[in-house]
Amino acid sequence: MAEKIYSEIPMRTWRWLGVNEARGEETVDLPSQDVRVAAGEVRELTVAYRQEGQSSLRARVEAGGMLKLTTVQLVPGSGFFGGDIEIYLAEGARLEASAVEAGAGQSISRMRVYLQGDGAQASVYVLYFGDGDRRLDMNYIMVQEGKNTEAKLYVHGALLGQADKIFRGTLDFRRGAKGSRGYEKEQAVVLSGKVRNRSVPLMLSAEEAVEGHHAVSIGKIDDSKLFYLMSRGLDLTEARRLVVEAAFNPVLDRIEAEELRQELQTYIKERLADA
Amino acid sequence: MSNKLLEIRNLHACAAGREPKEEILRGLSLTVEPGEIHVILGANGSGKSTLMNVIMGHPGYQVLEGSLEFDGEALQPLKPFERARRGIFLSFQTPEEIPGITVENMLRASRQALTGKPVKIMSFRRELHSVMEELQIDASYGQRYMNVGFSGGEKKRNEILQLLLQQPRLALLDETDSGLDVDAVQIVARGVKRFHNEKNACLIITHNTRILEQLPVDKVHVLLGGRIVAEGGAELIEKIDREGFGSIRDAAEELQGK
Amino acid sequence: MENKEKTFVEDIERTLYDIRNEERAAYKSRQGLTEQVVRDISSRKDDPEWMLERRLEALAVYDTLALPSWGPDLSSLNMEEIVAYVKPDAKMAGRWEDVPEDIRATFDRLGIPEAEETSLAGVGAQYDSEVVYHSIQESLVRQGVIYTDMETALREHEQLVREHFMKLVPPKDHKFAALHGAVWSGGSFVYVPEGVQVEIPLQSYFRLNAPGAGQFEHTLIILEKNSSLHFIEGCSAPKYNVTNLHAGCVELFVGEGARLRYSTIENWSRNMMNLNTKRALVEKDGLIEWVSGSFGSRVSMLYPCSILHGENARCEFTGVTFASKGQNLDTGASVIHAAHYTSANISTRTISKAGGQAVYRSAVKVTPHAHHIKCSVNCESLMLDDISRSDTLPVMDIQGDEAAVGHEATIGRISEEAVFYLMCRGISEDEARAMIVRGFVEPIAKELPLEYAVEMNNLINIELEGTMG
Repeated sequence: MAEKIYSEIPMRTWRWLGVNEARGEETVDLPSQDVRVAAGEVRELTVAYRQEGQSSLRARVEAGGMLKLTTVQLVPGSGFFGGDIEIYLAEGARLEASAVEAGAGQSISRMRVYLQGDGAQASVYVLYFGDGDRRLDMNYIMVQEGKNTEAKLYVHGALLGQADKIFRGTLDFRRGAKGSRGYEKEQAVVLSGKVRNRSVPLMLSAEEAVEGHHAVSIGKIDDSKLFYLMSRGLDLTEARRLVVEAAFNPVLDRIEAEELRQELQTYIKERLADA
Repeated sequence: MSNKLLEIRNLHACAAGREPKEEILRGLSLTVEPGEIHVILGANGSGKSTLMNVIMGHPGYQVLEGSLEFDGEALQPLKPFERARRGIFLSFQTPEEIPGITVENMLRASRQALTGKPVKIMSFRRELHSVMEELQIDASYGQRYMNVGFSGGEKKRNEILQLLLQQPRLALLDETDSGLDVDAVQIVARGVKRFHNEKNACLIITHNTRILEQLPVDKVHVLLGGRIVAEGGAELIEKIDREGFGSIRDAAEELQGK
Repeated sequence: MENKEKTFVEDIERTLYDIRNEERAAYKSRQGLTEQVVRDISSRKDDPEWMLERRLEALAVYDTLALPSWGPDLSSLNMEEIVAYVKPDAKMAGRWEDVPEDIRATFDRLGIPEAEETSLAGVGAQYDSEVVYHSIQESLVRQGVIYTDMETALREHEQLVREHFMKLVPPKDHKFAALHGAVWSGGSFVYVPEGVQVEIPLQSYFRLNAPGAGQFEHTLIILEKNSSLHFIEGCSAPKYNVTNLHAGCVELFVGEGARLRYSTIENWSRNMMNLNTKRALVEKDGLIEWVSGSFGSRVSMLYPCSILHGENARCEFTGVTFASKGQNLDTGASVIHAAHYTSANISTRTISKAGGQAVYRSAVKVTPHAHHIKCSVNCESLMLDDISRSDTLPVMDIQGDEAAVGHEATIGRISEEAVFYLMCRGISEDEARAMIVRGFVEPIAKELPLEYAVEMNNLINIELEGTMG
């Protein structure tokens, strides 16, 4: 099958960094979803992807409505997965999203959140986990159009083996988004010397009356933390696992579906033990 | 010529730009004469800080009704810096951090703006250092950025430093003593005492009556719901210290009920 | 002989016109830069044979490269008429009367003494500069320091130049590097021998180059082991150029344990496309410090790059960019950690106002197997109105698990509370805002030599005058 561009960075940069676009093989279409959350309604939606292919999800949250969205990508094996999520938030609408990227040999995911209405709020928590020779490409874009909107993008990841990961996170303040605030934070723990880790935190602004902040920290596990745990009797593997689990908990704790959460916890535990 | 330094009549004010307008100050009147020290007491949310900000002309507040006069001149048309140049000083409850501007540079710029005359660097530095010494502020703070990385106590002392260098005619002290340890309160009290004379006046907001033990208080006003509900001399401080605001609130409600 | 030369010149002229006409007719984007033009530049400069070869190689590369697919819009740059930028222009000598009104007004307000006005406008003042330059040079010469223009260096220190010239910025890097390689002219050459500390900053200001050398100048600095130098690039005053493309190149070789500080305040006139390439190679225990201020030009693409090549090599980058009306200033830095224990600190401030667009762009790369890497990036952006733009686009590309990389960026406007606070101290609203802006860039200003810091403040004041409040 031919290669195609699944998603692009909102603002291009040097080609040699290889972050301008996400390329992958063309693949089969999985059923797509179109969700509409009525004004004032609260909707919970949990989607687990376990099949190769590309899938898309569109949601519109009307004034004062709220969408609690959980997406978990656990495609087994070395196949390809492409995910595309697009969410529109009207006045006072809220999105609470948790996204987990933990499966497939190559995954390309994009999430675009448009905070169109005044006072719209979105908090998106992302967990990525790359091991083996997994390739992960993520492109999260928060577009703040309305006044007094608030966007939060919190990303926790761990990379093992020869994983190759790109995370692009964009806060895009459009003209007129007065009083809006946006926060982005990515924390990546690297557990292997063969990992390639690319982080691209973008902040675009055409409005002065905004407050934007982004931060990225990349590093290996804090040695003093490991030492502390080992002094309490844990061996190195256990200590590492505990530290990574602790890093993931802010995301995992938000997943309300008990069974799914446990499945993820077990999955990550096993993969960490294998590493 | 009026002998009144500050005269506020029937002041109504709210936060600017917010709808619906919700009055924070609801018909407040107050007169301060040269040489006096006034104290404003009141529970949180009674409008104390709003009053200070309105006197100083904070753009975040809007005067809906009433008048403010300083030395016979209407304050409302004046911008904050014009009020400062007339001789009003506000010591902030939470002083702003301004990265990149050193204390010395800022105070010198301020002196220059207030006097309208060029300020000599070396003589100003000497003056600054002598006042800093008095307030037990290390001279090195002159080269630090304005309030950046200062402890709460250091920020407050920095405010008193400015009070002493500025020598205003009316000092508005908004909880200048809060969050300070006993020694720091002493230093601040001494600073205010040194500042005060028969020509100038202080309007003090405080929760801490210890600072008042050091100062000759002329009048005490109790603020409640944006109005002054009780007034008296220094004895009122002891009463509130003993009984809290409860008794005054009851009295005020009774008064309103009639 | 004389007659022959004349004919030769005429031939070139005709060729140029022919090409341009042909292109117009064909509606084709053929670059008007021919081998003949490059050969002409080379022979006029009396290049050694190898330099001509390199120029021609660069030209061949230039023809194969496209304009960057990212960054500011360069479409107003007429690549068909690139020759017009390349060709020495008599007008370049410049008369004060030719300097646009706005720049002259800036000069007047800056209070630049008349003597300096002349030095900007004419050749005459170059002699004044030469005096200063020579007095500096004498003390350094005794220690073996070489400080001269590139043409002289090519004649007198050919081997040194040959070994280093365009080794850090190869022509294939990008289209403008290739263009530079083909048509470069003028610039500074500095060589500091082992262990020599140059105490006085060298300023290229004192080395006004020959007419026509301004836009494609090459700066080559070589610091041997344990030496140190502070080099200040460019005239601090606004430069005026009748042409509108600047594609200079700066190559800095920082030897083992050497320390180089490279400071620039760029304030090109507002019709300039500033597409400058700067790169430093830092050996073991070496240090490169960049201090970079971008105020002028219409479009800038400037990202000084530090290659930390030896263990413990370090990079400190401090930059400020102020984009005002009609400006698109795309600036930043890149760092390549290619050895163990290398560390980098990048700290930038950008300001945008009156429709200006400021972009912070950076790349931090950690090569596989490099361990104990530390890198921290901090960029803050200030927007002064709601018609301007400010974008931040950093990329971190990290291989391996032995790197600690942190990045932080904020964007916002002047705090109204801080303005109020200053006003309460008697400072007018406009001055309060200006003070806050100056405070915002203070971390950079304090890294600059005093006269440059003063001038940066003046530039900010001029920019802010009457636009705020």
